[in-house]
Amino acid sequence: MSTPVLDLARVTVEFPTDRGRLRPVDGISFSVEAGKTLAVVGESGCGKSVTALAIMGLLPQGGEVGGGIRLAGQELLALTPDQRRARRGGEMAMVFQEPMTSLNPAFTAGEQVAEALRLHQGLSPDAAFAKAIEMFRRVRIPEPERRARSYPHQLSGGMRQRVMIAMALACRPRLLIADEPTTALDVTVQAQILALIDEMKRETGTAVVLITHDLGVVRDHADDVVVMYAGRVAERASAADLFANPQHPYTIGLLGAAPRLEGGAARLASIEGTVPDLMHPPPGCRFAPRCPFAIAQCAEQPPLADITPGHQAACWRAPLDSLLEQAA
Amino acid sequence: MTAPLLELRDLAKGFPVRDAIGRRRGAVRAVDGVSLSVPKGSVLAIVGESGCGKSTLGRLALRLIEADAGEILLEGEDLRGLSARALRARRRDMQLIFQDPFASLDPRMTVEQAVAEPLRLHGIVPRAQEAQRVAELLSRVGLRPELARRWPHEFSGGQRQRIAIARALASQPKLIIGDEPVSALDVSVQAQVVNLLQDLIRELGLTFVLISHDLGVVRHIADRVAVMYLGRIVEEGPTRQVFGNPRHPYTRALLAAVPGQGHANAPLLEGDIPSPINPPSGCRFRTRCPYAQALCAEQVPPLEGASHLAACHFQNSLPPAVAGQDADTGGERLRRLQAYFTDQTQKTGELA
Repeated sequence: MSTPVLDLARVTVEFPTDRGRLRPVDGISFSVEAGKTLAVVGESGCGKSVTALAIMGLLPQGGEVGGGIRLAGQELLALTPDQRRARRGGEMAMVFQEPMTSLNPAFTAGEQVAEALRLHQGLSPDAAFAKAIEMFRRVRIPEPERRARSYPHQLSGGMRQRVMIAMALACRPRLLIADEPTTALDVTVQAQILALIDEMKRETGTAVVLITHDLGVVRDHADDVVVMYAGRVAERASAADLFANPQHPYTIGLLGAAPRLEGGAARLASIEGTVPDLMHPPPGCRFAPRCPFAIAQCAEQPPLADITPGHQAACWRAPLDSLLEQAA
Repeated sequence: MTAPLLELRDLAKGFPVRDAIGRRRGAVRAVDGVSLSVPKGSVLAIVGESGCGKSTLGRLALRLIEADAGEILLEGEDLRGLSARALRARRRDMQLIFQDPFASLDPRMTVEQAVAEPLRLHGIVPRAQEAQRVAELLSRVGLRPELARRWPHEFSGGQRQRIAIARALASQPKLIIGDEPVSALDVSVQAQVVNLLQDLIRELGLTFVLISHDLGVVRHIADRVAVMYLGRIVEEGPTRQVFGNPRHPYTRALLAAVPGQGHANAPLLEGDIPSPINPPSGCRFRTRCPYAQALCAEQVPPLEGASHLAACHFQNSLPPAVAGQDADTGGERLRRLQAYFTDQTQKTGELA
């Protein structure tokens, strides 16, 4: 088996706060291979974006990372800040939700993409700008020469996100992290951007970590899925397995909470209550207070265990199928 | 056919566009000749992408901004003809729920004050009964009445949206317009609020206008749907028909673009929405339409049809539509497991 592009082993992230230590990410593990898309899915506060920032080495001041993060076999947490900076943009790149805040308003779109190429590939300014225009053409920005000379505010939201993708992929990184890349965009533009990321991945063999709250996006674009809840992995499986045979009650609830396009269910399967306060998480399984399947044993943290080969869930009651047999 | 509670006739609104030093440089026709009718007790959804004019339309209907032309009939009475004073009194019949529950509640008012304000403003109940009515309203939206003395910042997004709904219900309105009322919420919380809205609409006989870009939510709760593109309605009809047999190419593209349908390679719409400052001539969708012909640039297509209407010159000669449908992989097992969540809701009685 080849070395995965990205491998996370029991990663934790902690922040010191006035009220004590906050641990938004509590021991998560997953890996992604070249040319594959792994989706990290969960709701606000589940730790998915913090995980992304930890991988990139972009956590806010005070954030402490534990465990191991390997990029192509190399332990990133052992590197100096300078060594990590050198890898950002070249070997690993990130696309954020709001492209306007990630682009510098004082430089043209083309200059910003060219800068990455000068820095990481040592191209001359002219060659870098020409390559930037080439990248704009590849991400299907119309009139690439003119758009390369436009400032970010002169571009639409979809166009800005294309610029971000062009910038992220210009240096052919091994790893692309896309954090809710289409959440701020309209649905017809969202479809274009996600198709573009898929196409680029096929062309360059980049491994993609797609962070999203949208299970529909996961279904259409991911090879593998990690479902996170309150800083921990609830379920991990191939996308096909996860949708065909979801095992964790949280995943099952989430799938029922999204209304379906063809109608159907009179009521949505809503998950009662709200996500726990991470300063005072419940003991044991963090989903237990909202879980209709919870039993006394759930006061202890269930391990992330194989339910079927390659399909793991952190739930004492999985597989739930025996419940259905009893009910029948 | 029930009489319409709300009827819009040829409503239009433009906003001036100014350059950097304030000179007028034309106008955006944000809403351009929209007619709609909402029967009493029904839910109409207005869908479309950003800039299509759906939020402007909602605000025009409540006279929160003034229309340039057209009529707004609430129970047959033209709101545009009302004096400021008469309009203020009429406001108890129509309420708006906003998208962002963090911005729509005054941080310096307790929940009780926020919900009591409309009661007092419109003289709904005597002062002595105020606290009791607030408690009733809170439990109506699934919040424990003991929470009345708390401040908005102590609540989560879903709970705040429940408070905003309680406030909207306080004046016993006939019409509620929800502008993306669940879009800012996480999906599990969104389901709670969607279920709540659905219950309230049914039990209180509310007439509801849902402004949303989320087609799943719209399919779930609307009776009729109007699809807007660049200030105009391009299709309108019963929800089931619009989703099952979309007649306008834009509606088809919008439905096909919803993720999760298991066909990631469906033909995509090219390009962005054109600028509303200088919209295309004729049919405004023609620049992105795979079926556009010369006629589409010359003539504005009329909104045609009996109960299911579409504004497309070629609506009768398009290839058969593919109905929007989620890939169904979990099947019966998943539905049975999800029933445990629904049962739990009923057991706990939903008081958060």
